[in-house]
Amino acid sequence: MAKTNLLEELKKRPLLCDGAMGTQLFIRGLAAGACGELWNVGRPEVVQEVHRAYRQAGCDLITTNTFGASSAALGKHGLSDQTATLNRTGAAAAIREATPDAWVLGDVGPFGEFIEPLGDMKAEELLEIFGEQAAALYAAGVDAIIIETMSDPTELEVAVKAAKRASAKPVIATYAFADGGGGSFRTMMGTPVKDAIARAIAAGADVVGANCGSSLSLSDYVNLAEQIVAAAGKTPVIVQPNAGSPMLLDGKLVYRAKPEDMTAAVPSLLKTGVRIIGGCCGTTPSHLRAMGEAMRRETVG
Amino acid sequence: MVNLQNLADAIKVGNRAEATKLTRQAIDEKVGAKEILEAMVGAMDEIGKKFQRNEVFVPEMLIASRAMKESMAVLEPLLVKAGIKPAFTAVIGTVAGDLHDIGKNLVAMMWKGANFGVVDLGTNVSPEKFLAAAKEHKARVVGLSALLTTTMPAMKQTVAALRAANLAGLKVVIGGAPITQEFATEIGADAFAPDAASAVEMVRKLMVA
Ligand code: B1M
Repeated sequence: MAKTNLLEELKKRPLLCDGAMGTQLFIRGLAAGACGELWNVGRPEVVQEVHRAYRQAGCDLITTNTFGASSAALGKHGLSDQTATLNRTGAAAAIREATPDAWVLGDVGPFGEFIEPLGDMKAEELLEIFGEQAAALYAAGVDAIIIETMSDPTELEVAVKAAKRASAKPVIATYAFADGGGGSFRTMMGTPVKDAIARAIAAGADVVGANCGSSLSLSDYVNLAEQIVAAAGKTPVIVQPNAGSPMLLDGKLVYRAKPEDMTAAVPSLLKTGVRIIGGCCGTTPSHLRAMGEAMRRETVG
Repeated sequence: MVNLQNLADAIKVGNRAEATKLTRQAIDEKVGAKEILEAMVGAMDEIGKKFQRNEVFVPEMLIASRAMKESMAVLEPLLVKAGIKPAFTAVIGTVAGDLHDIGKNLVAMMWKGANFGVVDLGTNVSPEKFLAAAKEHKARVVGLSALLTTTMPAMKQTVAALRAANLAGLKVVIGGAPITQEFATEIGADAFAPDAASAVEMVRKLMVA
């Protein structure tokens, strides 16, 4: 069956993205500080199991386990030479579970340092690094690329350009925002919503938005979504909240937002004009299933 | 005559070329090493305070630190000759399992900017490594950073390991986004600092106390 283009489908209906991968792997035994992308090769059945759970929960978009699989990010684990393999196997795991109806998003995260003049990385060099990852993901058959959790708009621009150079397929680009005081939001680099979104669109992103905010409540996310939609104009918006901020209870990691809390935010998010809703750190297939049900109630009813 | 205020300003806006030029000029004009250093430290203090008040952000901090670092390199030989040494050494690192280092680096930069001797152990540092470095460098301060809730227990273990070694006069300062004063008290750290500027103040306080 031929899937429609993701952007065409978005015009017809809002879509449900998947939820967290990292925290799902931690639950399944990934050690803190270890490289989760290595499981694409070492424990592909577990990665696939997470994708399957999200697919069964009704997610339309499945995100590859390649957030930290640029050669620069892998370099922190001494694994740069595995870039092609980890992206290819990561894409394969997602494609296997997404087929035939869901779209697969090749995940690209921050490279982990700063671009000149703040750090030592040259923008041209980073363009090659992200280009290599995008090319590997596209070669393996992903439908689109999602550039996530960015703080520096310059880095996001470079990543969008790299993805667009590799293919004409859709590119989604999201920032991690934090409370900026007085009802405003900023990235860690201090960039306000309006500038951040304008720069993402100018660089060529087809869908823009936010994921993984820090210390944002679900009602903060609704306010943030409103500001992003206003800044994005005609460009569709994606929002992927985390399940609140994690806490340690008796030595165990707990994300406090329950599926029903996340569900309650869905109608308000849709009302702001958001077209893709998903989840970030701490969300589980149960959260996404409940959110999907709420989404269908809103759009069908 | 060189104006040390201009040097401080150049550091604050991160103008590396200007900052190093003014440092050289000050040295040529025989301004005292201590005076030059104080101008630099003052500049970093000010930028840290602005960051604390959300008036500037990570990029401004990084760029000022780079200007500070390069100017310090120019001043270094003079400091050595004048026998001006950091009064004590602080060891810093991100705890085991945690690879976040942006906040830790800012604290390390501000500590260097305040003229503390700083040994940066990087990220994912085990309790044993912290302990070994504290002994090797006869550190008066050990700074621990953690950004993940899942690595807070590693922080607790590190504090316990340092306490068990009973190093005379050693103070432990902790910080990072999920860390609170309550947690610091619970695990027996000497101080918690919510941001890089407070981390400087905390250490200054602990060192006079
Ligand atoms: C010694 O005394 C002191 C005193 C004060 C001290 C101190 C020590 N240390 C810090 N301070 C204090 O002073 C500093 C300056 O004022 C402050 O430092 P901070 O470090 O708080 O602040 C910095 C200046 C700026 N802030 C930061 O640098 C953190 C920013 C965010 C976006 C972030 C980043 C950049 C990254 N990340 Co990560 N990341 C997030 C963050 C979300 C956010 N927007 O905050 C956070 C921290 N990450 C998180 C997660 C979950 C993860 N990250 C991961 C990876 C990464 C990147 C590599 C992509 C990158 C790190 C790059 C790097 N070189 O550090 C993964 C873990 C990797 C690992 N094992 O460490 C991964 C697990 C994601 C994944 N699924 O793979 C979340 C942690 C949740 C939690 N509480 O447990 C998170 C809050 C995002 C979220 N919303 O959920 C103070 O806290």
